[in-house]
Amino acid sequence: MSGEIQLEELTKKFDEHVAVDGISLDMPAGEFFTLLGPSGCGKTTTLRMVAGFERPTSGRILLDGKDVARTPPHQRNVNTVFQSYALFPHLDVSKNIAFGLKYLRLDKEERNRRVREALELVNLSEFANRKADQLSGGQQQRVALARALVLRPQVLLLDEPLGALDAKLRKSLQVELKGLQAELGITFVFVTHDQEEALTMSDRIAVMNNGHVEQAASPRDIYEAPDTVFVADFLGVSNLLSAEAVGPDGSGCTVRIGDRTFRCQQGALDARGEVRVMIRPERIGIESRSDGASGEERMPGMVERSVFLGGLHEVHVRVLGGELLKATVANDGKPLPFALESGTAVNVHLPPDALRVLKMSEEPQASDAEPAEEETIENVSA
Amino acid sequence: MDRLRNPWGKPRFLAVITIFYIFWSVVPVLLAVMFAFNNGRSRTTWQGFSFRWFTGPTGSVLHDPALQGALKHTLLLAGFCVLIATPIGVALALGLQRWRGRGSGTVNTVMLLPLVTPEIVMGVALLLLFLRVFPGIGLGTEAQVIGQVTFTLSYVVVIVRGRLVSIGPEFEEAAADLGAPPRDRMFRVLLPLLAPAIVAAAAVTFATSIDDFVVTQYLSSDASTTTVSMLLYSSARGAPTPALNAIATVGLVITLLTLTLAFLVYRRFASGQDAAAVATMEV
Repeated sequence: MSGEIQLEELTKKFDEHVAVDGISLDMPAGEFFTLLGPSGCGKTTTLRMVAGFERPTSGRILLDGKDVARTPPHQRNVNTVFQSYALFPHLDVSKNIAFGLKYLRLDKEERNRRVREALELVNLSEFANRKADQLSGGQQQRVALARALVLRPQVLLLDEPLGALDAKLRKSLQVELKGLQAELGITFVFVTHDQEEALTMSDRIAVMNNGHVEQAASPRDIYEAPDTVFVADFLGVSNLLSAEAVGPDGSGCTVRIGDRTFRCQQGALDARGEVRVMIRPERIGIESRSDGASGEERMPGMVERSVFLGGLHEVHVRVLGGELLKATVANDGKPLPFALESGTAVNVHLPPDALRVLKMSEEPQASDAEPAEEETIENVSA
Repeated sequence: MDRLRNPWGKPRFLAVITIFYIFWSVVPVLLAVMFAFNNGRSRTTWQGFSFRWFTGPTGSVLHDPALQGALKHTLLLAGFCVLIATPIGVALALGLQRWRGRGSGTVNTVMLLPLVTPEIVMGVALLLLFLRVFPGIGLGTEAQVIGQVTFTLSYVVVIVRGRLVSIGPEFEEAAADLGAPPRDRMFRVLLPLLAPAIVAAAAVTFATSIDDFVVTQYLSSDASTTTVSMLLYSSARGAPTPALNAIATVGLVITLLTLTLAFLVYRRFASGQDAAAVATMEV
């Protein structure tokens, strides 16, 4: 199968600003690969270099083993779905889709057949003669997709293609896109700042921050086994506790959080000194303090807020030492065994196999990991 | 009174000012047009309605050789001006838009200079140019065309660049991505998208050329290079007849038709692309 992309030490500088800082990534053929990160992390610039719109400052872009870093975009067998779709407003839907077929030197018959097929693929056959501006956002998105796929590229690049759509449509298109990718078997490189979207669709995710790749792994590994504080914080809800790693403990590591000692069995177990300990809300157990004194693996705290979210309760617990932990308790239909109102004294249970040791990052983290809506200024500002 | 006023209503004094302004600017024009249809030699006393100054046997626009010549020469200059200024202006706009290097800022400013330079300065400068630097060209039709192109070019560049900015680089990138080489990006994507702006620019050039007086006057040579505006100016103090109003009316109608046509074309083809860009040409 073709469509494998390898990035080697890829760097892009805009004047003094380094947008992409020597990243190396393997995107295996036929995979749904996602570049995930906050605004300004360099994900769009990376995609634009693969497409050929930006010239790398240094490094190589291997497409099936061949370096295409200096190949102009119209000679690369990759196609792009733009964030704003970039449908040609002076052409109707079928002419938009047929635009690139001219360069494949097909006969007229074949050209028409391919356009028809592409229209069917995205369920837009009856809109063939509409102008782009007479379509809804979701339909425009499909036309953009058809226009790229009709050329049968080895790789399809998608730059936040669902960003402009409303939440519901987005969800259904996520599933559709993933299905389409599996059906066609071509490599999708997908750029998004939406972690949920990334988790839903990807075979593999590369989390980017400040022009670097923080971690590239499967969605499950990214979520369950983040390598860095940034990744832990960016994907899902994480509780990150300041701690001091004091020494080995069998197969795990002992950390001191406040005046208490906990065992951790995940993450950087060889770390010593100042570390962060991470635990997901769904892994935290909440126990009534009256069940007994706080013992091993436990920490006393006070419920500060409890929010009913339908499928689960989200409980904010202020623990000894002042840190706020978020825990979730699944709603199994029965009443809670004890009240979770604010002010209730509880113990939080932090099991060793859910505690993950993360080394402190060497460089300062982006102060705000919340994804922003727009990425348009990524190229010019830090 | 204050309590009765609709708080969501538009401020009344603005409406009054607007209406007053419209009267102030339109009424003189309407009066001038009205006397073009006067059935008498007076340009101030109404003597009944007639077409004699348009089509009458003597002294009318249709039969007076001087008026005829001026009208033809005006249209000739405007035609040449459009044919030359539009393509050069579009090319310049494209070039300036892409040029990101050193000096591009300066060139941008220089491009806009003709818009703010007093026309009389421009006229004198061009006169000296053709008398001293390029005596080979000399004064006359060629000089008038070159002179008009010199400053209408700026209009073309400004209008086309405005459109280029609103189009953005994305459509060209999309075309490149789909396999179009640079030439096709220009002819299959960019020029069709620019077409409304080009038509608008051509119309503005045409109208500006017809209206121009100062530069055209400075660079004229003899009676054969007299335009409508020059004729109006020179005979206003001589023996004015309503024929002057008539020819001015013809000029006015041509200008209005051109601009209306351009506006319609622009709106028709730019619809849905960018409503804001339409405003650039209404200026």
